Amino acid sequence: MLPPVSPLPLGEGPGVRANPPSTIITEYMTQNGTTLTHGIDFASLGRSEPILSLDNEDLCVEVKNLNLYYDNKQALRNINMQIPRRRVTAYIGPSGCGKSTLLRCFNRMNDLVDSVQIKGQILLDGNDIFDPAVNVAELRRRVGMVFQKPNPFPKSVYENVAYGFRLQGINSRRILDEVVEKSLKGAALWDEVKDRLHDNALGLSGGQQQRLVIARAIAIEPEVLLLDEPASALDPISTLKIEELINELKAEYTIVIVTHNMQQAARVSDYTAFMYLGELIEFGDTATLFTNPTKKQTEDYITGRYG
Amino acid sequence: MNNWWKSGDPWIWLTAASVTVSIVTVAGLLSLIAWHGLAHFWPAAILEADYSENGSNKQVVIGEIRDQESIPLSQLQAAGVKVKGEQQMTRILLKTGNRDLFGADFRWVLQLDLQNQRYPPELMAIERREWGNFYGYLQAIKEHGQVVSEGAGAWPELQQRLDRVLQLHQQIRTIEKFKIGKLNYELEKLRLKQRRLELNHDTDPAKPVALAAQKVILQAQFETLNQQLTTLYEAIQRDSISANVMDGRVVNIPLSNIVKVYRPNSFSFLDKARFYMAKIWEFLSEEPREANTEGGIFPALFGTVIMVLIMSIMVTPIGVIAAVYLHEYAKQGILTRTIRIAVNNLAGVPSIVYGVFGLGFFVYFIGGNVDQWFFPEALPSPTFGTPGMLWASMTLALLTLPVVIVSTEEGLARIPSSIREGSLALGATKAETLWRTVIPMASPAIMTGLILAVARAAGEVAPLMLVGVVKLAPALVVDNNLPFLHLDRKFMHLGFHIYDVGFQSPNVEAARPLVYATAFLLVAVIIVLNLTAIWFRNHLREKYKALETA
Amino acid sequence: MNEEELQHHISQQFNIELRELRNQVLGMGGLVEEQLTNALIALTTNDQQLAKRVYSNDYKINALEVAIDEESTRILARRQPTASDLRLVMAVVKAIPELERIGDQAERIAHMALQMSGEPQAKHFVAVNHLGEHVRQMLHDALDAFARIDVEMALQVMREDQKVDHESDSVYRQLITYMMEDARAIPMALNIMWSARALERVAAHSCNICEYLIYFVRGKDVRHISLEQVEQRARQAR
Repeated sequence: MLPPVSPLPLGEGPGVRANPPSTIITEYMTQNGTTLTHGIDFASLGRSEPILSLDNEDLCVEVKNLNLYYDNKQALRNINMQIPRRRVTAYIGPSGCGKSTLLRCFNRMNDLVDSVQIKGQILLDGNDIFDPAVNVAELRRRVGMVFQKPNPFPKSVYENVAYGFRLQGINSRRILDEVVEKSLKGAALWDEVKDRLHDNALGLSGGQQQRLVIARAIAIEPEVLLLDEPASALDPISTLKIEELINELKAEYTIVIVTHNMQQAARVSDYTAFMYLGELIEFGDTATLFTNPTKKQTEDYITGRYG
Repeated sequence: MNNWWKSGDPWIWLTAASVTVSIVTVAGLLSLIAWHGLAHFWPAAILEADYSENGSNKQVVIGEIRDQESIPLSQLQAAGVKVKGEQQMTRILLKTGNRDLFGADFRWVLQLDLQNQRYPPELMAIERREWGNFYGYLQAIKEHGQVVSEGAGAWPELQQRLDRVLQLHQQIRTIEKFKIGKLNYELEKLRLKQRRLELNHDTDPAKPVALAAQKVILQAQFETLNQQLTTLYEAIQRDSISANVMDGRVVNIPLSNIVKVYRPNSFSFLDKARFYMAKIWEFLSEEPREANTEGGIFPALFGTVIMVLIMSIMVTPIGVIAAVYLHEYAKQGILTRTIRIAVNNLAGVPSIVYGVFGLGFFVYFIGGNVDQWFFPEALPSPTFGTPGMLWASMTLALLTLPVVIVSTEEGLARIPSSIREGSLALGATKAETLWRTVIPMASPAIMTGLILAVARAAGEVAPLMLVGVVKLAPALVVDNNLPFLHLDRKFMHLGFHIYDVGFQSPNVEAARPLVYATAFLLVAVIIVLNLTAIWFRNHLREKYKALETA
Repeated sequence: MNEEELQHHISQQFNIELRELRNQVLGMGGLVEEQLTNALIALTTNDQQLAKRVYSNDYKINALEVAIDEESTRILARRQPTASDLRLVMAVVKAIPELERIGDQAERIAHMALQMSGEPQAKHFVAVNHLGEHVRQMLHDALDAFARIDVEMALQVMREDQKVDHESDSVYRQLITYMMEDARAIPMALNIMWSARALERVAAHSCNICEYLIYFVRGKDVRHISLEQVEQRARQAR
C-alpha cells in the first residue's frame, strides 16, 4: 500500500528514466502556477511537510500564567503556551518536571488530589476551564485522556468502547454498534477484535489494550486527546503502532502527549515543549527543536548532556 | 545436625506440622459428629434375650443395642450391684422402648446376664406419635375392637390398614394446619379490624355490620371444617392392633398413634439402606415430636436458612455503603481512622452483648414504638415489640457488619486508581464510576465479607436466645397467608436446637444422637451456604481478574 | 532489499519521508544528468545558448543539495533510522555531494563550450564526444541502479569506470599528439583536455555513487579496494 505521492515514478514504470530528452531541461507549469523541474517543486524545496509555525495555527488550548502548588510546593511555574488545533503537541522533560501535572490540568484530573491549588487560566476554545460554572464531567467528555498503563475496564471489548455512551444514557443497540465499530476502526483495532467483541478486554495484549483505551476515548468524540506516556508500558512494535495511530488521529483531534521518550516525541509530534523543574523552557515546532534548539538547557537535555 | 538446623528445613517441618494439626482437627471434628449423627438413622437389629439379674428368675428382654461400654468391677460393686467375675465387665445400653409400660426407654444390662441372644425376624418396632418406640410381637388387628386378622396374615393386613390411616392423618393435618390455620388468621384479622375501628372512634354503623357478616361466613366455614374433622377422626380411630410386649403383657395400640411399623430383623441390606434414606429425609423434612427428641428438625433448618438470608440482605447494602463512604468519600483523617478502629473493635464484642442490645434497642425500643404507631389494635399483645425473626436478623446483621465493612474496604483499596481515572476521564461522575466500575470490581471482596458474615451468623446462638429463637415455634416464618413472610414471628434455629435437645431434654439417651445429627446438619448448612458464596465469588473473580494483574 | 521492502514501516509518515528523500535524490540525479547531456551537446555542437543555460541552471542543483541535506538531517533527528534505513540516509547524504560535483563538472564543460565560441569545428571533438557519451551512459546507469536498487548494475558501472580511464588516457594521448603537431591548437586542445578530465571525474563520481548504493543494499563498505574484491563482497550473501 503505497500512498499516492510519487511525483517521479521510480523503477520500471513505462517510459521512465529511459533516455531522458537530451535537449532542453523539462520545465512545465502545474495547476497552481509553481514551476516544477523533474517533479521537484523548487518553491517548497526541503519541505516534505510544510514548515510549521504557531502563527499560522488555529489555537485550541491556551495556557495563561498557570501556577500549580502541591501543599505550598510549587509544581508548575508560570506556564504560558498555546496548543494548536489538529496537531500533535508533545511535552518532554526529566521526571518530575511537571509535564504530567500540566497534562492533567487540561481535563482537571488534578481536582481529585485534595492538596492541589491552581492559579491562572487554561482556555479551551476561549473559555476558562477552571471557571466554577464548568461541569467537570462535561469538560472531560471534551478532553479525553489515555493513561500510561492500559486500563481497560474488566468488561467486554464492546462494553469498554460503549462505556462513554452508556454514561450519557444512550443504550440503543443500533447506535452503540455503530459507535463501537467506528471507534475501533479509528483506533486501528477493528480487524483484530471484530470476532471477539464480547470477550473480556483483559484478554487482549498490552498494545491492543492501549488501542482499545484510545478507541474508548475517541468514541465520545472529544476535541482534545491527552496521552500520558501512552506507550511507556508497551513493546517497541506496539509502540510504533500507537505512534502511527497518533499520526492518523491528528487529522481529527488535537493531541497532547507527554512522553519521557524524546525520540518518540521527535517521531510523532508537530510541536514540542521542553519542561524543566516546573517551567516551560522551550516550545516550538519539533523539527527545529530537535535539530537546532534555542535554549542551552534544551540542547543539553535532548543530546543527553543533562545533569 | 547443625547444618540441618541452618538449612531451614526445621521451619518447613514446623509449618507443615501446624497445618497438619489444623487439618487433622477439622477432619476429626467433622468425622466425629458425622459418625455419631448419621449412624443414628441406621436401623438397628432388635435383640431378644433371656435376662437374669444376679441369678434371679429369668425374664425376656427385647430392645435395640444402642451403646456398649466396659467398666471396672469395683465401680459396679460400689454402685451396689452384686456381681462376681472379671475385673472388667461389659455392659450394654438397650433401648427397650415402651415408655408407657416401663417408665423408661433405655436400660443398662450386663452382658454377663444376657443369655440365649436371638434376633427373631417377627420382632416388630413401632414408631408412635407419643410414648416413643414400641418393641414387641404383633398379635392381632382389630376393627372397632373386633379381631379381623391374626397370625401370619396380620402383617400385610397391618401395612395396608396403616397406609389408609396415614392418608387420613395427612388429611387431618392439612385441615388443621392450613385450612383452619388460615381461618384463624383471618378471624384474628377481623378482630383487629374491629378493634381498630373502636380505637379510631369510627362511628360509621355500616362497617361493624360488614365485619360481622364476614365473621359469620368464616365461622360457617369453620363449622364445616370441624365436621369434616370429626368424621375423619372417627375414621382414623377405627383400627387398632394388639401386640405382645417382652414381659408377656398384651397392649392395644390404635393405628392412629402409629407413624411407622417395621421388622428390622428381617431387613435385607437394601431394605436397611432404603429405610436409612427415608429416615434421613424424615429428619430433614418433618417437624419435631415429643419435646424435640423424635421426628425431624425442618423448622429449625428453615429458620436458620431464612434468618441467614435476611441477615445477608440487610448487612450487605449497609456494610458496602458504609465502606464506600469511608473509603471513597470521607476525607481521610483522624475521624475516619477513629471510625475504622471502632468498627474493628465492634467485631471483637462478645455476641451476647449484641443480644442484649438487640433486646433493649430493637425489640423494646423500636419494636415497642412500631407497635404503638402501626399495630395499636393488637395491644396489649405485642406484634413487633417481642423477639422475632426481624430483630434476630437485624441483631446478627449488626454483629456481622464490621466484617463486611472491613473486607469491602480492603477490596476497594485493591482497585487500581488507573481504573477510576479511566472512568472519570470519560466524563463519568464519581458516583457513576463507583456504580459502574469500582463496586463490580470490588464484588469478590464484598462476597468474601459476606462469606465470613454468613459463617459467623449461622453459628451464633447466644444473642438469638434473647431476640427471637424459641425451642418450638408454632408456625414457620413463611406460610400461605398474606403477606407470606411474617418477620414478627419467632423461629427455631439449629444452633439453639442443639442446645435445647442436648441440655433441656427430659430423655437424654434418646436426644444424644440427635444432638450430633443436628450439629452435623448445622455444619453442613454453613458449608453449603459458604460454598455457594465461594463459588459465586470465584465466578466474579474470574470476571474481574484485572485486580490480580494490575 | 527491494523497492517494496523500503515501504513497510508501521509509520506511514516515515514511509513517505523516505520515499520523498529518494525521489528528491533521483530528481536531482535526473537534473544532473540533463545538465551533463546538455553541456556535452553544447560542447560538440558549439551551441552557445545551451551552454549558457547549463551554466545558469547549476544553482538548482546546489539548492537541491542543501534541501536534501536538510531533509536527511531532519529524518536523522526525528526518526532515528536504523539498519537499512540508516544506510539509505547515509548513502543519500554521501551521494548528494557526488551529484553536486558532477553538476559542477557539467558546468565546467559548459564553460569550456563558451570559451571555444567561434572556434571552428574540429575533428578533435570526435574522441571526446565518444568519451562523453560513454560517461553519460555510466552516470545514467548509476542513477538507474540507484533507482532500482540494483547491485549488479552498480557493479557493471564500476567495471565501466576502468574502460573510461583507458579511454580518457587515449584521448589525452591523442590531444598531446595534436598539440605537438600544431601549436595553434594548444588552447583549444587544452580546453578539450579539461573537458575530458571533467568527464573522467564524472565517471569517478558515478562510481562512488555505486559504492554507496552497494553500502546501502549490502551494508558493505567497498571503497578503496580492487574491483575484484568489490564484486566478491557485493555478491556475498548478507
